[in-house]
Formats: sequence, C-alpha cells, structure tokens
Amino acid sequence: MLTERELQISPTVQESVLHNTKVLTTLHNLTASLFGVGAGILGLESYPGFLFYFLFSLLTSVLVYAFRVRPGIIKEAQSSGSSGMQRYFRGSMELWTGGLIEGLSGFVLTWTLFYGLVRA
Amino acid sequence: MTWISKSVTGLGLLFLAHACYSAYEHSALHSTSTASLSSTAAHTAITSTSSSLPIDISIETLVAVFTVCLGLVLGTPELRPIQWRVWAGQIEREGEAGFTNIDGQVDKDYVGNPFRVLESRPGFVDIRKQRKEFAEWVREGGGIDEAKKS
Repeated sequence: MLTERELQISPTVQESVLHNTKVLTTLHNLTASLFGVGAGILGLESYPGFLFYFLFSLLTSVLVYAFRVRPGIIKEAQSSGSSGMQRYFRGSMELWTGGLIEGLSGFVLTWTLFYGLVRA
Repeated sequence: MTWISKSVTGLGLLFLAHACYSAYEHSALHSTSTASLSSTAAHTAITSTSSSLPIDISIETLVAVFTVCLGLVLGTPELRPIQWRVWAGQIEREGEAGFTNIDGQVDKDYVGNPFRVLESRPGFVDIRKQRKEFAEWVREGGGIDEAKKS
C-alpha cells in the first residue's frame, strides 16, 4: 500500500485510476457472463465449472496485459526507465485478481441458465 | 482497431451460437434415442447424457469463448497512466491525440493540461512604474481638468 509520503513524492491521477478500474470492471463483467454461456454449453458441474471460470478470467487478464499494458510499458521504456505495472495500476494484483469476485454472480447466472437450456 | 474487434467478436458469437445449438440438438437426440432403446434402464440414460458431449462441440465452444474474449479485449479503450508525471508527459507530448477513444473522438472525461490557466495568465504588474506614471500625471496638474479646459 502506498504511504502518504510516497503519494506526495509521486502523485497519482485519480481520473486515470477511475478510468482504468472502470475499463477492467466492464470487461470482467462482460466476459464473466460469456464464460457462463461456455460452461453451460459444456455441461460443467460444481468444481470444474468454477475452475473453468478462474482459468478463463486469468486468460482475459493475460490478454489485457498483452494488448493494453505491454505496449505502454515498451513505449515508456524507450523514453525513460521502465516502471512496469506501476504505470497503469497501483498494484499488479489489481489486474490479475481485480474482477474475479464481481463477475462471479453473472457467471453463475448464465451458467445455470444455459445448463438448463441445453439439457432441458 | 474498431472493425477488427467487432468482427472478431461477431465471429466468436457465431461460433458460440452454433456450438450451443449443436449441444442442444445432441442432448435432445441422445435422450430420445436412449429412452427408446432402454426404457427400463432410465438411471443409466440420465448419467450418460450429462457426461457425453462430443469432442468437436467442446473444442468449438472453447475456441468460441476464447475468440469472443479476444475481441472484447481488443475493443476496450486504452488504459491511462496513473502516475502524474507520466500522465502529464503524455498530455504534453501527444495532446488530445493520446486520449481518443476507439471511434477517433476525444474522450468526454479528457481534461487536458490541468495547469493551462497558470500558463496563459498575464505577467506580473509593475506597480512601481505605474506609481511613477501616476506621480508624473499628478505633477502635470491632473489630466482631467486640463482635458475639460481644453
């Protein structure tokens, strides 16, 4: 966690933090219901279904890292010293595990819906 | 970038719909065939329908989910640097071009340089020079009275 002293030395932009969090939350909500559709079609039950969700959420985070975070880091590394994930997020866990809990309800919703639809 | 993400997402959704319909048809066909084959062994029929999905439908579902996911990630707006120095440097270097959304328009919450007011303010007023001018004007006898007389 950032202390007040570190915040004064290198201040953060609140609007950008909000923007990044909003982008991640929207993406995770959308993809969670999509993964529910996939799990329902595959007919997964109990633990394999949740494992499916966690694996694909991690895959989404990897894709975000590859397509959105990585180009910025590379571009910055050419101009000045590299700073990694600190450029876009306060901590790296914010990207990897940020949207897991928010998307879980949407996932279970569409999972049960499509499980019932396909195996009527 | 926008048409790429939209086409990839649409392709993935098409695959997903096809996989869903295939799974539905398979389960319907499987349940009717097993029910007609063995009406006595109802228990085994139920267990076999839940476990046996053909491998091609499974693979199609996984590929479709991955494709839609890729399309959605490609469609997300650019992230913004949260450190003030990096963010301000990007504003100085790129201006509005660095904060456009996918459609090529500037984002609604783009604020620009937060110190623009400070950069365009007038310089300091030389109050001593103004006092000197005022003193000369008074020494000449006041401009307004002369202006009235003449």
